[in-house]
Amino acid sequence: MTALLEVADLAKAYRGVHAVDGVSFAVASGTITGMIGPNGSGKSTTIDCLSGFQRADRGRVSLDGHDITGLAPQKIARTFQTVRVFDQFDLVANLMVAVEPFRRVGWHDALARTARYRAARDAAEARAHELIELVGLTRLVAAPAGILSYGQKKLLALAAALMPKPRLVVLDEPVAGVNPTRINEVADILRKVNAAGATFLIVEHNVEFITGLCDHVIVLDQGKKLVEGPPAEVHSDQRVLDAYLGIDERQTSAVAEAS
Amino acid sequence: MQLSATYLLQLTMNGLMLGLLYALIAVGLALIFGVLEIINFAHGEFLTLGAFAMALALPVCGLLYWPALAVAVAASAIAGLALYELFLAKLGQGEFERSILITMGISMILLYGMQYIFTATPRMVDTSLGFAGVSIGAIRITWTRIIGSAIAVAAFLLLYAVLNLTQFGRAMRAIAQNREAALMVGIRPRTVARNAVVLATALCGLAGAALAPIQLVQPAMGQAVIFKAFALVIIGGLGNMPGAFVTALALGMIESWIGGFFDVIWQEAAVFALMIAVVMVKPDGLFQRGGMRVG
Amino acid sequence: MKQLLFAAALLALAAVPPSFGSNYITGVVLSGLVFTVAAAALNLVYGYAGLLSFAQLGFWGIGGYCSALTVMRFGGNFWEGLLVAALVNAAIAAAVGLPTLRTGRHAFVIITLSFALLCGLVARDWVSLTRGPLGIPGLPAPSLFGFAFSTVPRFYYLVLAFAVLALGFLFALGTSRIGDTLRAIKQNEPLARSQGVSPLAYKLAAFVIGAIVTGLAGAIYVFYLKIVDPLFLDFYYMQTFLIVVIIGGAGNFWGVVLAGLVMVALPEALRFSNDLRMVIYGAILVVAMLVLPRGVAGWFADRRLAALRASLK
Repeated sequence: MTALLEVADLAKAYRGVHAVDGVSFAVASGTITGMIGPNGSGKSTTIDCLSGFQRADRGRVSLDGHDITGLAPQKIARTFQTVRVFDQFDLVANLMVAVEPFRRVGWHDALARTARYRAARDAAEARAHELIELVGLTRLVAAPAGILSYGQKKLLALAAALMPKPRLVVLDEPVAGVNPTRINEVADILRKVNAAGATFLIVEHNVEFITGLCDHVIVLDQGKKLVEGPPAEVHSDQRVLDAYLGIDERQTSAVAEAS
Repeated sequence: MQLSATYLLQLTMNGLMLGLLYALIAVGLALIFGVLEIINFAHGEFLTLGAFAMALALPVCGLLYWPALAVAVAASAIAGLALYELFLAKLGQGEFERSILITMGISMILLYGMQYIFTATPRMVDTSLGFAGVSIGAIRITWTRIIGSAIAVAAFLLLYAVLNLTQFGRAMRAIAQNREAALMVGIRPRTVARNAVVLATALCGLAGAALAPIQLVQPAMGQAVIFKAFALVIIGGLGNMPGAFVTALALGMIESWIGGFFDVIWQEAAVFALMIAVVMVKPDGLFQRGGMRVG
Repeated sequence: MKQLLFAAALLALAAVPPSFGSNYITGVVLSGLVFTVAAAALNLVYGYAGLLSFAQLGFWGIGGYCSALTVMRFGGNFWEGLLVAALVNAAIAAAVGLPTLRTGRHAFVIITLSFALLCGLVARDWVSLTRGPLGIPGLPAPSLFGFAFSTVPRFYYLVLAFAVLALGFLFALGTSRIGDTLRAIKQNEPLARSQGVSPLAYKLAAFVIGAIVTGLAGAIYVFYLKIVDPLFLDFYYMQTFLIVVIIGGAGNFWGVVLAGLVMVALPEALRFSNDLRMVIYGAILVVAMLVLPRGVAGWFADRRLAALRASLK
């Protein structure tokens, strides 16, 4: 089991609040790893930092042995919590924004529509259609992405994340707000793509979804890693239950202290 | 050019008065930005409106300074109200570019409209105070200038009091600092926005009215200062009123001193180049951004 | 079909000088073509890349002064003047654009605004170079291999050729992957970044290309006016370019081109009063922002979208 992603002692604070406070973990290659934790546990900040959208205060992030700490957000494919799509582009155009399939095509190629450009474009378009079919959106392929429903946008965002054939895909709450009947479809899609070789790190609130899908689960609480292990273990770990259910107690005691 | 104390004193006083003028405009702009997150391109025209209102009200008020001033400020405030209700209220959040374009259009209508009606010829405005003044050593200052500066200072003191001591003002600061929290506490954004715009345009109109007897009044007079004011607001920290105030005063002093020691010809260009450089180096302003929540 | 329309339009434009036989009308259409090119360049920067850049006015003016000075001061010819205009604008745009694009949305607008003003002030104050308010008059007609573009109709064809080339280039750029990437950045920059795009590089490219094209337009236009002076940097030009882009529909190539050509007549029709013309421009801008913020092209696009939504229900 080789670690594809290694995070060591990651930390980030905002105005004195330690959103992430010394978090270390590894994501094994070929797995679907889940990350859960109550609100405010630092999940979003962690993935923002490791995907380059925010600068961590300290810590190291390495992908496949290469240090990518603080690098521009191009090394790790990811989706966003508030789903983002290009509203005015149709579905294929949405997926065609990805730079990776065109990495050997220069600007002059693009401008003059040279043979090299057209070859890359055709290959990318074919892949885009494949992915759109994988997530079940072929029917809407010519529509501007802005008219998609929330759940459909999430599927499109997933397809877009997969375009550059990434080794690691980080999903930020992929099934939040998705129709419960479709959640299983999403899990199936992820399993399929995982079988084809992609590694996933999934941040989610839906604990059921995570335990049903993931090989390995990491639990964060208040900026620190609480526990990690196979889903069954984590699911019944007392500390995890305390973290989720103990929020009320922590709050009430804090209020009592303040007054 | 003697490097005498008198000369320096004169330069400093001129600088302060100029700075106060800039401040009246810049602080209003900062207030509008803080509450509405837009830049009012037409702000300079409210200065001109105030000046013309003063020019027109004076003969009607028998050339008496104070009544005419009151009329001019009231007129500016009403114009500001119209600006908000008819146009700005229709803009949503995050429509920065659209707000610039709309206010630019309004600026064009006001500026060229006034030019059409009043012609571009500069006019002199006479008040009951005439050109009488006071002499301090070799320096002579007219009453209109003294009173104008005093009014500016008074306006700022009043503004400070309003912003910190009244509900009216505190609501504005709340919205500027943390819009969501302010909304949750029940502050109504439309009301606060309207008040902010009216207050800001009244300040500008006041500046124009006070300027009318001091300078020649012409439709383009707002244009001369407004572009500097934009830069001042950015440098002072967008939405940061004290920042805008300090930066404005500083600019007035710098301009006065540059003009006093160097050839006036390059002064304006140098000032703009300097402001551009400052903003490039510190795009969030020299001071803290006026309590705007970023992100 | 589109090719036919395009060919027909081109023929119509080419037929203007002989059809009307009037230097006045030819001049009006000529101005319209130049303004359309400048508006199309602004469209690239604002409509595609999302940058409300007032610096375009500065580049327009710099272009005009460069070509005029090259010919009148430095003994070059018109074509060398164009080259100088392009190169100088490219350099200045790169130097100013890079730090400015790194600042935020608000600072960008203010800096470009101040830049345009600064250019006007320099034109007015650097008397030893620009002759200040007197300007540089008496610009001669350009000539090529002995053929002088000395009459209005001849100059018109020169401008028409330039417009076709410039608009053709902007069209190719806008419809290419580069244009698509710009539009992606404008719609959702963080998303584009997560897809591997470097927004700064693209925005800077758009900014510099916009500067070069606008500079060339200005460089040519002053030779029609036969004089360049600080008034060439008057905000009136910027406001005209903006109105064309807004009415046509920012981000829509054909919308802006059509708006530019259709509005050709507007400055002339409103010639009876300079001030009233500007008041009407202002009113157009305000009304467009309130009612048609995405321009005529945008309005059509919205209707198509609504129809599509309905059909998918």
